[in-house]
Amino acid sequence: MRNATLSASRPPLRLRLPPRQLIWVGVAASVIWAAVQANLFSGALINPGGWALVVRLLDGLFHPNFSSAFLRLTLDSTLITLSYAVLGTFFSLVIGMVGGILSSEVWWQAHGFNQEAARPGSIALRFYRRSPWLAARTLLAVPRSLHEIVWGLIFVNIFGLVPLTAIFAIAVPFGAICAKVFSEILDEQPRQPFLAMLNAGAPPLQAFFYALFPSALPNLISYSFYRFECSIRSATILGIIGAGGLGYQILLSLQSLRYQEFLPMLIALLLLSGLTDVWSSQLRQALGGSTRIEIQTGVNHTAGIPSTGSTRSSAFLKGSMISILLLTGFALVYLKPDFSSILAPRTAQLLEGILRDSFPPQLPDGGLLYLLRLSGQTLAISILAMAAVGPLAMAAAFVSSGRLRNLGQITATRQPGLRPAAILAYLVRMFFLIARAVPTPIWVLMILFVVFPGILPGAVALALHNWGITGRLMVETVDNMDERPLVALQSLGASPGQTFMYGALPDVFPGFISYIFYRWENCIRETVVIGIVGAGGLGRLLSEQLSNFDYAAITSTLIALILLTILVDLLSSAVRRQYRS
Amino acid sequence: MITIQEKLPGDSSAPNPAVFRLRNVSCHFESIEAITGLNLEIGRGEKVALVGPSGAGKSTLIRLLNGSLAPTQGDVEVFGRSLARLSARQRRPIQRQIGTLYQQFHLVNNLAVIHNINAGRLGSWSLLKAMVSLIWPLETQIAAETLAQVGIPEKLYERTATLSGGQQQRVAIARVLVQNPDVILADEPIASIDPERSREMMNLLRDLSGKGKTLIVSLHAIEFAFSHFDRIIGLRAGRLLFDAVPREVTPAMIQALYRLT
Repeated sequence: MRNATLSASRPPLRLRLPPRQLIWVGVAASVIWAAVQANLFSGALINPGGWALVVRLLDGLFHPNFSSAFLRLTLDSTLITLSYAVLGTFFSLVIGMVGGILSSEVWWQAHGFNQEAARPGSIALRFYRRSPWLAARTLLAVPRSLHEIVWGLIFVNIFGLVPLTAIFAIAVPFGAICAKVFSEILDEQPRQPFLAMLNAGAPPLQAFFYALFPSALPNLISYSFYRFECSIRSATILGIIGAGGLGYQILLSLQSLRYQEFLPMLIALLLLSGLTDVWSSQLRQALGGSTRIEIQTGVNHTAGIPSTGSTRSSAFLKGSMISILLLTGFALVYLKPDFSSILAPRTAQLLEGILRDSFPPQLPDGGLLYLLRLSGQTLAISILAMAAVGPLAMAAAFVSSGRLRNLGQITATRQPGLRPAAILAYLVRMFFLIARAVPTPIWVLMILFVVFPGILPGAVALALHNWGITGRLMVETVDNMDERPLVALQSLGASPGQTFMYGALPDVFPGFISYIFYRWENCIRETVVIGIVGAGGLGRLLSEQLSNFDYAAITSTLIALILLTILVDLLSSAVRRQYRS
Repeated sequence: MITIQEKLPGDSSAPNPAVFRLRNVSCHFESIEAITGLNLEIGRGEKVALVGPSGAGKSTLIRLLNGSLAPTQGDVEVFGRSLARLSARQRRPIQRQIGTLYQQFHLVNNLAVIHNINAGRLGSWSLLKAMVSLIWPLETQIAAETLAQVGIPEKLYERTATLSGGQQQRVAIARVLVQNPDVILADEPIASIDPERSREMMNLLRDLSGKGKTLIVSLHAIEFAFSHFDRIIGLRAGRLLFDAVPREVTPAMIQALYRLT
């Protein structure tokens, strides 16, 4: 009793900073370090000679090539990109399902250990029990940490420039990501019905399909469609390694200064990306739940099968499933990937040759220090990009969000129509769509017109692309906020600014911070892509080594990349844990 | 109607073989002792009520009996075999003979009622059959008959989540019935339903378990222990307080069972 009052009046001394404040000290220090790395405070950054090219690009935009031959090429490229995305997603889901089951805790719990022991096992025994699960998780971490384009460059050496390369380049890393997310979804489902079936003597796989799978299904579908959105973006990027499709054609047009071809391609890209996004978010709505931000940060998987009465949603669901089947069939016919080459003896020979050349790994010419310096550059690019994206996306989200725009008015007096604020909101959304639909390497090429090569153009391109993705998500989140607290604040006389500070921000801020750190994990992978088109870091080293077929050195670069990714993942998940509680 | 498809080898050799035999069983969770030094034998066809205050160890005992929990000490034998020493695969044929009705039902809400009922038969279905049935329901006849037995035949193709709590409980019973086990365990089946429905539920359980099946039910409501069972086991703080036929259980014993310390 006495102790209790004591501790209540005087909290125990804390020697260390509260974790959240510590995070922000760390963030500030890293951003300053990254800015120094990019020579932001010294040296010339802007190339004044490049403005002429910008003028030519703009001129090309206003004199687009709408000839029927070129439109046919655009359509063909669009369908190729779409087909890569569809088949890439399809195979990543297959890999994801198998990998997801094998790396879920609940699956191994079902195998042999479903009899819960009341006796506490020793540490060794507990480790042994978790070992198959840990092994599966570790195995899946490697494909995940390399970007699709790296996989593309690897598969090009085995299969050549064929559709299979692009499909696998998407399927392998996305399959590993799906496996991780699927396993989390499976582990989050109510476990009791599953265990009840096991305890009634049902074999694990049967029990899995009757208990876990049905309750996880809405979330699995929801996430799969989100993956499809990502696949469209990846399929476009894969163009830059020569795999064809929209990304490839845009790159060709830009490099050969045919700027009048840019607009038709851009429109095709926007349509493809925009329609996929709309479809995917409609489907999520039909499934009753999770927003994109929740899906990605894994805060909670809330999707469920629509309750009774929503026949429209279930019709939409069915229609979507049939469309997916049709699209998959179409993609197979359109690309005609040669699956037999997987098992061809030549493939095995090439793979064996590459593996033999890749080991033992060798350091690049500059040695370990050089590798470390380039790793530092890569890290700096990603930090600078995220430092820009975070505040910019949040600001733009609040500017363009319909919810906050309407806060000034009482509900009944809201009038639809084109007021300046509404127009601004549409423009911001349009900008976000363009920013995320245009792949990062294309942004790099355009930014290199006016910025000297180095860390900065890479960071700016990465920031632009991710601004588009993050900004849109934040707009969605603010739009879906619970209105009642905001209205309550308003009705007691708070100004819109105050309402935002006290009502909106506290509600969404932790989720946003968490999302920005999650985005950082993606950014560090994407830095490779911009390196390949000339910005700095490990990506550029990798593309040089690839053109020399120096596989032993490639291995060491890949190891550096994987370690860097794992480091960022660990930091990010530590921060996100802080913001989840 | 339903015939017992698999019999365990050797379990009918003795005239009244023990279904469960517990020897000096203790069960600890961290520092909490749920069950202490329990010795118990339950024979084929017995109808047993487990009574005692909250936290007496009734649910723990049910979990020990269906093999979802291994004891900290001692030995739980089911049909003469110690579950804790068997692998999951070896445990399965034994567990098929034990059907459990859980307090929270543990049904799959997203599935139609028919699939939840058929889940009771997964132990005897092949993987292929199980998967096909999820898309194209198989053996609907048995599922429909069983659902009629528990009194809600019209709900066969409804989604389980849309059913009321009482209806869900009936689906859970139907799942146990199609499993057609030798033993039915029920954990507090009437804890959250009104007195009239409670009587109905107890009648249903007693009638459905019939002559041959062993029925073990944990109960809060002591009066049903007297009216529906032929053996009452009183648990208090994880220990056996009494184990007797209903007419030998005196009010003093009941008072000792529930008294506040």
